[in-house]
Amino acid sequence: MRWFWIDKFVQFEPGKHARAVKNVSQAEEHLHDHFPGYPIMPASLVIEGMAQTAGILVGHARDFKENVILAKVQQATFHDVARPGDQLVYDAHLERIDENGASVRGSVTRDDKPFAEIDIIFSHVGENQSELDLPKKNFVFDRQFDVLVGGYQLDKLAPQPGQQS
Amino acid sequence: MRFILVDRILELVPGQSIVTEKALTLAEEYLGDHFPSFPVMPGVLMVEAMVQSAAWLVRASTDFAASIIVLKQARNISYKNFVPPGQVLTLSVQARNITRAESEFVGQGRTGDRQVVKARLALTHCNLAEQDPALADVDRRVIEHQRQLFELLGGSTLARSAATVRDPTR
Amino acid sequence: MAISRDEIMTQVRETLVDALGVDDDEVTEEATLTGDLGAESIDFLDIVFRLEKSFNIKIPRGELFPDDILNNPEYVENGKMTPAGVEKLKNAMPHAEFGDFGDDPDINKMPDLFTVKTIVNYIESKLAAA
Repeated sequence: MRWFWIDKFVQFEPGKHARAVKNVSQAEEHLHDHFPGYPIMPASLVIEGMAQTAGILVGHARDFKENVILAKVQQATFHDVARPGDQLVYDAHLERIDENGASVRGSVTRDDKPFAEIDIIFSHVGENQSELDLPKKNFVFDRQFDVLVGGYQLDKLAPQPGQQS
Repeated sequence: MRFILVDRILELVPGQSIVTEKALTLAEEYLGDHFPSFPVMPGVLMVEAMVQSAAWLVRASTDFAASIIVLKQARNISYKNFVPPGQVLTLSVQARNITRAESEFVGQGRTGDRQVVKARLALTHCNLAEQDPALADVDRRVIEHQRQLFELLGGSTLARSAATVRDPTR
Repeated sequence: MAISRDEIMTQVRETLVDALGVDDDEVTEEATLTGDLGAESIDFLDIVFRLEKSFNIKIPRGELFPDDILNNPEYVENGKMTPAGVEKLKNAMPHAEFGDFGDDPDINKMPDLFTVKTIVNYIESKLAAA
């Protein structure tokens, strides 16, 4: 299992809002444990999809200089379950950001209908905030991430006039 | 990857609480992406481990009445420390309420003495046959699978001794 | 529009109930954030963000919770805050009640300085200055 819970970005307004999508597919092995005979995308992985959408919006706002770490999920509320063949759309709105961290309000839709609301606080982690020795270089936004974000082509995704954000 | 985030059930008081363990190993492939130079357990998988622990408590408390148990809401999930491979995450979950269709919990995760995560969870439970009677067979298969897994995780032994304690004449 | 201290307390209480998952009646003016209400470092960030939103104010880093003074090893000696440190802290936190902290500035007692009242006082003075 790779740890990528969004497939592509479809809108990107730096410092404000990002929209990404995730396709749910029978090809995803973990679905066949959750549950055998009735695959459902686990809610925890929907939270991760929002964390990744929002984390990139937050990181981009400060040039990916700091480690952006999931610190707190204020709430994650689900109205339904996602099944193979569904596409989830993640909308992350950046509310507040500074050198300590950031706060993002997120909504997930499926077929333009409300699917979940997920609000997240990220921390900008430095060396003194964990008992583990942290790597000297940024470990969240590293070389592998550079390749990934290059593929997202975020600079081509400013919303068009008339597009909802 | 198998989506089983509980390795062992350590304690079980039906209707009340459960304590489980999840051992983290570098053999779990997603760690290669999280993160390449600093593998640590993703926070959402800690939540998943807590949700699965709570779900086992629901099943043990309701005799596996519902096939589908999923997270409906999580509040105030807060993270305090990282969990690297080689560590064991111990989850303690206390039930605030368990009914036929819903349940609420408070949970904490720690590695040794170190607190790692805490959260408030609300789960919802159902059988597919409630919406579509043709799916009753699917419900049966899911529940049978869960019973076998529960046995594997040590849950049935604990549930049996909890039952004995409650009714010493058994 | 002027808002009363009672209204400030109500909104602060709501913020703390949401951020910390505690019950309404646990949030008294004297309740300490870390001791009584179980707040941890990440909760402080959450609380600051929520207060900014609720009261439509900006809370610059360190103005409500001066972590740069609290975490500065220069101001700590033998488990107690130095007189210079206590002075700096008092200047940085006019909204806190120091009582007799100055007589025995044990660093373990520092979290007790952060009560619900500390936050209400801060918001009140911030809104008055606006």
